[in-house]
Amino acid sequence: MHDLDRRRFLALSAAGIGAAATAGLPAVASAADASPFKPEKGATLQLLRWTGFVKNDDIIWAENTKKFTAATGVPVQIQSLSWPDVTPKAALAAQVGSGPDIIMGWNDDPFVYPDKLVDMTDLAEYMGKNHGGYYDAARSYCYDPDVKRWVSFPIGVTGNSLVYRKSWAKDAGFAEFPKDLDGMLKLARGLKKAGHPCGFSLGHAVGDANSWTHWVLWSFGGKQANPDNSIAINSPETANALEYAKALYETMIEGVSGWLDPSNNQAFLAGQCGLTMNGISIWYVAKDQFPAIYPDIAHAVPSYGPSKQRTTLNNFSSAFIFKYSKYPQAAKEYLRFMLDSAQAGEWVTGMRGYVTPALKQYGDLPVWTSDPQITPYRDVLLSAKFDGFNGRPGKPAAQALDEFVVVDMFADACVNKMAVKDAMRKAETRLSAIYKRA
Amino acid sequence: MARRSALRIYLPLAFYGVFLMLPFLWMILTTFKAREELLNTPNPFWIFHPTFEHVVGLLTTTAYLQWFANTLFVSVASTILSVFVSYITAYAIIRLRFPGWQTVSTAIFLAYIVPPAILFIPLATIIIQLHWFDKLWALVPIYATFLVPFCTWLLIGFLKNIPRELEEAARVDGASNLAILWRIIFPIAVPGLISAAIFSFTLSWNEYLYALVYMSSSGNKTVAVGMTTELIRGDVFQWGQLMAGALIGVLPAVLVYFFFVEYYVAGMSGSVKE
Amino acid sequence: MQRSPLLARLDSPRVLGYVLIAPAAIILIGLLAYPLLLGVWLSLTSATLGNPGTFVGLQNYATIFADPTFRGAAFYSGFYTFFAEAGKLVLGLALALILNRPFRGQRAARALMLLPWVAPTVLSALAWLWLLDPQFSALSWLLIRLHLIKSNIDFLGHAWNARWALIVVNIWRGLPYFAIGYLAGLQSISKDLYEAAAIDGASGWQAFRRITWPLLMPITTILVAFSSIFTLTDFQLIWTITRGGPTDATQVFTTLAYQRAITGGQLGEGAAIAVSPIVLMVILAFFVVRSVRER
Repeated sequence: MHDLDRRRFLALSAAGIGAAATAGLPAVASAADASPFKPEKGATLQLLRWTGFVKNDDIIWAENTKKFTAATGVPVQIQSLSWPDVTPKAALAAQVGSGPDIIMGWNDDPFVYPDKLVDMTDLAEYMGKNHGGYYDAARSYCYDPDVKRWVSFPIGVTGNSLVYRKSWAKDAGFAEFPKDLDGMLKLARGLKKAGHPCGFSLGHAVGDANSWTHWVLWSFGGKQANPDNSIAINSPETANALEYAKALYETMIEGVSGWLDPSNNQAFLAGQCGLTMNGISIWYVAKDQFPAIYPDIAHAVPSYGPSKQRTTLNNFSSAFIFKYSKYPQAAKEYLRFMLDSAQAGEWVTGMRGYVTPALKQYGDLPVWTSDPQITPYRDVLLSAKFDGFNGRPGKPAAQALDEFVVVDMFADACVNKMAVKDAMRKAETRLSAIYKRA
Repeated sequence: MARRSALRIYLPLAFYGVFLMLPFLWMILTTFKAREELLNTPNPFWIFHPTFEHVVGLLTTTAYLQWFANTLFVSVASTILSVFVSYITAYAIIRLRFPGWQTVSTAIFLAYIVPPAILFIPLATIIIQLHWFDKLWALVPIYATFLVPFCTWLLIGFLKNIPRELEEAARVDGASNLAILWRIIFPIAVPGLISAAIFSFTLSWNEYLYALVYMSSSGNKTVAVGMTTELIRGDVFQWGQLMAGALIGVLPAVLVYFFFVEYYVAGMSGSVKE
Repeated sequence: MQRSPLLARLDSPRVLGYVLIAPAAIILIGLLAYPLLLGVWLSLTSATLGNPGTFVGLQNYATIFADPTFRGAAFYSGFYTFFAEAGKLVLGLALALILNRPFRGQRAARALMLLPWVAPTVLSALAWLWLLDPQFSALSWLLIRLHLIKSNIDFLGHAWNARWALIVVNIWRGLPYFAIGYLAGLQSISKDLYEAAAIDGASGWQAFRRITWPLLMPITTILVAFSSIFTLTDFQLIWTITRGGPTDATQVFTTLAYQRAITGGQLGEGAAIAVSPIVLMVILAFFVVRSVRER
């Protein structure tokens, strides 16, 4: 049944008619019959989500929601907010015990108030079984080992890849993007010499600063905490990562320590910066607005370091249902419907790589190979780790990320010229305080 | 003489003008610049390819006018409420000297000490209990919490400057306290009320956090919340539309102020002198 | 004129006094004092988001005072407030003195100068973010063109640059508030006083020292007190431009409290951070109340 659905959809979208998936309405209805989640009588739902990173996201999501209402009779009111504003809204809902039924939040949000959330084990397992299972990181962000249940339902990530200018890399002697970090440093030096420096944020950029510093930290085998949540940041591996970052910082464009999330996009699109780490947004915007440099933009899977593992940190989004919701079954059915092949296929296809779903099945969608520049974003979750790695996801990890402990450690070493061991010790002290509190 | 005024007025004024207007100049430039010009330009202070694209986009693809109307409603209503409440409170404190007036005036000032960035959590409990959540008008009393203390203090200072002889004369004629409050003091207090109103209006117009957390339907968004929701997508800022929205949001206020400021000045000099 | 007994009762200062302050009392007690007390209570508990926790006394305070991040935030909060207030006071008063003189275009100037105070902070902060950008700053471009600097200034990337940049932006936004307040104050000073001073042969500066400044004291106290509180509890501006960075250089009470309580879930500790500047504010309040009463 499910395979049939899926093949049908793949055929459709391969034919380039994403919207034609609407034709699958009867199939959708029958899938709903088979669903283990039966909406309560008279159910209505409120969903709070982040504004799509690309307009197509909101449009398709709203269309699919309409289909859901048509199929089940359950009206759904969608509220959207700028992505950093979802966390305080969710916090408020947890605190006052009232608000939207479903929230699509970020990273560790559900771990901050797990006992306020509906057990999502049935939905998570059902979807995992039917859609090829989850990537490891997705499980870490949604399964709470303390209470031994899924507290949240994995949606996906806004993935990060290296973004660079092909011709400039070639001029610097790299026709292919270097696979390892040493090679990348050489490339960065070459770029700097040619006047196209790289740029990686060392300011308090929620997405950009965290993603690359964690990548480098993990690539050298450094980690924030051990599995028992004891602090592990002060290590020779971390020191190596910091030394590497210092060398890389020498090749960077001026001002990265003040960069917020939009900064690298702008510097790159202006042609001032030749290499950075980012979501697919730079490429996507260039396609419409910067046709001159668009063909020269390429993406590469983040290079690996001595740990020989590819490691990335991505903004992870998951959906959770609060216990105060009167219609948890309807909410689950809604999430099942939205992430079912017919809907999710169209949704993911329409976003062209902006969001990489946590369900492995959607890696097969033709959109990922429709352009070689989209492909690296398909694989971001293969190598993804969660924040606080290798400790446990949860409150302290969330807080460490919010307070930019790792980012600040890199900035201390690179920008503030603090000795590597002092920068590590400072981070260690901060982490100890944070983990002790929680 | 002309040179003196140039030196003592226009020169420093030019300094202020540059400092205070620069971000607005930047908003204007950004609003009318073509997108690619924002990042690559030989001169950031010039518009090479003027366009109305951003203004049109803002007005046609977003609910800007709705947000604008919401903000206007909330700001005007909370201004009226706060100025009225503050006026009668200030009058009571300054003229009636009822027992406990000193405590009240201190308490009103102390009202400010916990910042909204944290106060919104405990306040939310109350908003929920009152069933005020996601009701646009609920922002009116909520905004009054940070408007009333300042307005009251401003008006206390203002009413103090009004000579007592005025009301004593009225009292001799048999006017009640309420009549004095409305017929005698109120007209004289207009300049003070206007400056309280200017303060209230702008603070309500600017407010972000409460409007963000206590409203949820898209129909109840204010300008600041609506714009950050719609025009900041991930790490891509729609600069043109953001700045166009900021600019349009300021324009009506400029017009209002243009007339009010004059009235305010005229009313003030006339009232305090006699 | 005959009055009904009810109206006569209402006319007694005592009764009317309470009636008139009732609306303010209801709003402020219900929507401010009560949540404020809840907030103070939270700071004495181990509350986390969604979990009321238990009473822990001053433990949260002990924790935060031992925390270097908090101490850094306390330092910058004070630094930011002090210099922003000083800047706004001096520049605002000077602007009011200019705008108080008759000149052509006075009305337009008065209206325009108010603009920074009117624009929604979130959006004007974005305009500043762009003006201070390390790559695209129009300010840097201008200074380079004027041959004052050689390469772009990194306004937000270095601790002290970022700290001062935020203070300048705060002054920019709050200056009109001081200017308008002072303008109101200047208008209320009787012209006779200046005429008398002129007859006595006082210079402009002497008139300012002896007449203007003393008579502006009450408004100064009010402006500084209220503005200090707004500055000390400023959140949006800093959050939009630096998010407390680089490396916590521009972290203040509110941004840290927000991070701890709202995104990190440590409600008790966040409340303690938010409540801790109360001591400062109570001292401030004491001075204001006293000086206003003295008049």
